[in-house]
Amino acid sequence: MKRVRGSTIWAFAVIILCVIIAAPAHSYEKRDGKKILIFGGRQPAPNIDPSQYYDWSARMLQQSLYDALLKYVGNPPKVVPWLAKSWKKSKDGMVWTFELVRNAKFHNGDPVTAQAVKWSFERTLALKKGPAWMLMEFLDKEGIRAVDDYTIEFRLKRPYAAFEMALPWWYIMNPKVVMANEKDKDFGQGWLKDHDAGSGPFRMKRWEHGVLYEVEAVEDYWRGWENPKHIGGFIYRIIRESSSLKMALEKGELDALEGLNSDDFDLVAKNPKVYVTNDPGWTTFGLKMNCQKGYTKDINIRKAVCYAFDYPSMIKIYNGNAILEDSPFPKGMKGYLPVSNVYRQDMKKAKEYLAKAGYPNGGFELEYVYVQALEEERQIGLVLLDNLSKLNIKLKIVPLVWPNMVARASKVETSPDLMAVFTTPIMDDPDVVASQYHKVSWGKYYGSHFYQNEKVWDLIDKARFTVDWPERQKLYEQIQVQIMEDAPELFGMLFNRRWAFRSHVKGFVFSPVRFTGEIDMYPLYIDD
Amino acid sequence: MIEVDRPPREGPDSCREAAPPSFFQRKKKGMKRFIIKRFLLMGVTLLGLTIVVFIVSRVAPGDPARLAAGPDATEEMVQVISKEFGLDQPLVIQYGKYIRGLVQGNFGRSIRTRHEVWDDIKTFLPATIELVLISICLATFLGILFGVLSAVYRDTWIDHILRFFTVTGVAVPMFWLGIMLQLLLAAKFHFLPIGGRLDTIVTPPEAITRFFLIDSLVTGNGKVFFNALAHILLPAVVLSFPALASIARINRAEMLEVLHRDFILNEKAQGISKGLIIRKYALKNALIPTLTMIGLRYGWMLGGTIVVEMVFDWPGIGNYAVAAAVYSDFQPVMAVTVVLGLNFMIANLLVDLGYGYLDPRVRYE
Amino acid sequence: MELGAMIKTWKEERESQVRSLKLTAYTLSRSPLSVIGFILVSLFLVIALVGPLIITHPEDVTGAVHMDRKLQPPSESYPFGTDEMGRDLYSRVVMGTRISLQIGLIIIFVAMGIGIPLGITAGYVGGWVNEIIMRITDVFLSIPGLLLALAIVGALGPGITNAMIALSIVWWPGYVRLVQGKTLALREEAFVEAAKSLGVSRLRIIFGHLLPNCTSPIMVKASMDMGMAILFAASLGFIGVGAQPPEPEWGAIISVGRNYLPERWWMATFPGLAILVTVLGFNLLGDGLRDVLDPQSRG
Repeated sequence: MKRVRGSTIWAFAVIILCVIIAAPAHSYEKRDGKKILIFGGRQPAPNIDPSQYYDWSARMLQQSLYDALLKYVGNPPKVVPWLAKSWKKSKDGMVWTFELVRNAKFHNGDPVTAQAVKWSFERTLALKKGPAWMLMEFLDKEGIRAVDDYTIEFRLKRPYAAFEMALPWWYIMNPKVVMANEKDKDFGQGWLKDHDAGSGPFRMKRWEHGVLYEVEAVEDYWRGWENPKHIGGFIYRIIRESSSLKMALEKGELDALEGLNSDDFDLVAKNPKVYVTNDPGWTTFGLKMNCQKGYTKDINIRKAVCYAFDYPSMIKIYNGNAILEDSPFPKGMKGYLPVSNVYRQDMKKAKEYLAKAGYPNGGFELEYVYVQALEEERQIGLVLLDNLSKLNIKLKIVPLVWPNMVARASKVETSPDLMAVFTTPIMDDPDVVASQYHKVSWGKYYGSHFYQNEKVWDLIDKARFTVDWPERQKLYEQIQVQIMEDAPELFGMLFNRRWAFRSHVKGFVFSPVRFTGEIDMYPLYIDD
Repeated sequence: MIEVDRPPREGPDSCREAAPPSFFQRKKKGMKRFIIKRFLLMGVTLLGLTIVVFIVSRVAPGDPARLAAGPDATEEMVQVISKEFGLDQPLVIQYGKYIRGLVQGNFGRSIRTRHEVWDDIKTFLPATIELVLISICLATFLGILFGVLSAVYRDTWIDHILRFFTVTGVAVPMFWLGIMLQLLLAAKFHFLPIGGRLDTIVTPPEAITRFFLIDSLVTGNGKVFFNALAHILLPAVVLSFPALASIARINRAEMLEVLHRDFILNEKAQGISKGLIIRKYALKNALIPTLTMIGLRYGWMLGGTIVVEMVFDWPGIGNYAVAAAVYSDFQPVMAVTVVLGLNFMIANLLVDLGYGYLDPRVRYE
Repeated sequence: MELGAMIKTWKEERESQVRSLKLTAYTLSRSPLSVIGFILVSLFLVIALVGPLIITHPEDVTGAVHMDRKLQPPSESYPFGTDEMGRDLYSRVVMGTRISLQIGLIIIFVAMGIGIPLGITAGYVGGWVNEIIMRITDVFLSIPGLLLALAIVGALGPGITNAMIALSIVWWPGYVRLVQGKTLALREEAFVEAAKSLGVSRLRIIFGHLLPNCTSPIMVKASMDMGMAILFAASLGFIGVGAQPPEPEWGAIISVGRNYLPERWWMATFPGLAILVTVLGFNLLGDGLRDVLDPQSRG
């Protein structure tokens, strides 16, 4: 037995040694001479069909695999020509004509023509999913016309000054490839979920659902590459736990990541091999309150909550990387204006409003719903719980997965008292923020407050269909002041958007219209 | 259902029977009947299982169609999806559809991933099975080893250390153990990877069995094999811990009993080496109680994969079920419960059959 | 009957019970592991009871936040360090004991409340009633416990109450099996036959003869189950579907603490040790009890 035991132990030791040796820590990988960047994200992208679905992870991949007529670049975000080399709009804002570049090609070699553009728009409008909502009110498929192979015209149903602002999110797909894979008249939806019919700078290489997505660079991309050291491809690796994400970056298993909490970003920034970007963003955090049901129906209670909250604590949660909102619109966006009637913690005023509501000693419970696994939202809830306890108001903190939250927000009866929402405007136009407070947004996650004020709605409508900017700006000023007064939302903060990169990764450009962890991979290059 | 054999009948009729069937022939027939009966029972239980799971999933609050439609959907979009999933029909009809689908191998569609649940399960199940199998091997091998060592070196420091681990092994929360080991071995000292089945940059081997360890060996890919081994080591150790502890305990007890039996003392007195004695008697005796323990602990392990996969980012069925449960995505949760339930029942059947194979006294009723 | 005589018979009846109790205690004390188990369980119970008296920052348990002192390592003023909201981890872990005790007790009692009556009915009545009850029990026992609990909580929604409901549903079948088996065996015993032939009512047979004989294995099982129930509840808390903030439940604390590894190790470590020690205590105690009360069920 001793002999047996001895040899067993030796065998184990040898195996463990091999295992240790074979588990390397490494920086960016080189494969076939190309530099592959490994990005760690906390969220999978099960569906990247541009007509069906978008969230930050899906869009990061869509932006790499596909092109659109225009593209958002930089901070402040500018709409730059992409597939469209020039465009013009009619004076009344109803007819838009785009000239396409001549040399754009899909990944299989087919040219990107106006017919392909028309087909892509029609598909998205027909499926009524994904980005369809952005233009559904303004555009019908009858209004899209391919004037010739490289010119396309959009005839809107009503004037929309911000039309071009939505276009970067309408990606162009290759109709031949998609329809060749159509099954049961599904318009190719089943196939395009995890396949590639694009013309973008990257093409799909390896897709392992729930684990990783790999794309490789299209070396002869029609637009070319600005930097010869551009990445030869990237792997989007799904790691759900933020601590694992952090450890992987520090070990060198990742080249870039998103989604750490502020403490971890600060820690990681101390690592000499890592740098953390830090840009003020447009993503606002607010607590939307149900204005039509429950205790929050009463504006006095809403104001009491707004006066009870310890706003600077949000800055502390972000370790200083945030600024407080002083308007319903994010700072830096077109039309933003700091309003004077903004709320800050004032327990006396809070008690006054509580008394006005008929509850001078509190004695009720409110529900705070937040996105599960979003650590910061949880912490903010705990702060609010502490604040409200001083007014003898109880707070029930409920985590839900995002889609469940959206489902609850869709009806007045189920919309939470307080819902924690991060909202990133998808375009640089105040209409996109203002319409959140319009009746059309009732039932959407950003309209979970079911806010009701006909006067404000009239202003919003007017501003939406006006084409002259100075006129619009005046209207938006009034809108901001009134919304703040009505307090449908506890306006919180804008936090700085942060990503962590290993020092050999360069070229990152931040754009505030990109969501959560979304990075535009096209300009990145590796320089060591 | 399993009885010790009774002596053959005696009496006036015993001469009239021509060549009564031998013991083993009777046993084989008994086993066949046993297996058939068990399968029938399993079928009934499985059906009951689907009913329970179905009821549970429909009790859920929340609107699954709206979940599926996504945050920016309009009412029509939600209706479209509601029809697609058949959510607007009465419960009994939904259950009927579900059962009909099951029989055809159709587990429905996941709202979260938008894939057929069956496809998702095909993708993720092999990872879990590989992990569980390696864990069982570890638990058995190390469990027997530690148990025997503990008994042979009774009351020495070896024994004390091993007993400490076996006693705490069943009490330790698997997720915590995983986190601690991850912390020490992966983060502080970079011995082992933090999670996943392979390094990101490594291409998985050709999908033959979808078990990375087997596939990489079969295709002669050494580097991938060691990479996969490195990744499976920690989660397997954590998952095997409670079973390992139980097996070690029972083997220690068995071994101690054997070592002190009279005929052993006799053989020791005759000078036969200890090693030979151990190998001859102890290991043979170890098998049955070890099998019992595996049977008892297997269900625990299946449940444990849920948290272990979470901690180590293992792309298996446990992780899949958690993501679905948290998402109120009912089809995958039902499917995983049925699949793992079936797996558990089959495992129990195998364990019972194993008894019959190992213990000659056992006869199937 | 006279009062004096009544008291005398009462004492005589109890005398054998007192003696067997003394025997149990003596036998238990012979095994060092059982003694350790007993000490740990007692410690657990004591801490749960006097929790509020020994914690240093009671307000941190109910929801106070102190962002200025967040994530500090263990020190004199904060023996277990502070968490991400600046709360004293030691106070929270101690109060977590109370929560775990509540969870464990409720689960076990509900499970027993459902399982024991069903088990006795099945064993005593027999026939197709027995078949139905046992088949249903089989169905629930065919799914790994944590998975079933996850499915139920996933359906009901996160929260400590739903977690307890789910775990009670997972636990009751075990008691049915245990009690049914015992009842089935006892039913044929001579003393039951005797009682029946004497015309003793069914109810009295059940409560007077069958139940008392089940007490030992039930107690053993309950002791082991307490530890396991606490472990499962912590697992659900870890997954995120159990206790919710700001409840200081051990599993939930570890779940949050995980985000702050590896540098801030204290948040994940101390609650885990608490779970380990508690479950260990109940396991050892249960083992010891089994050796004393029900040695045949061993192995």
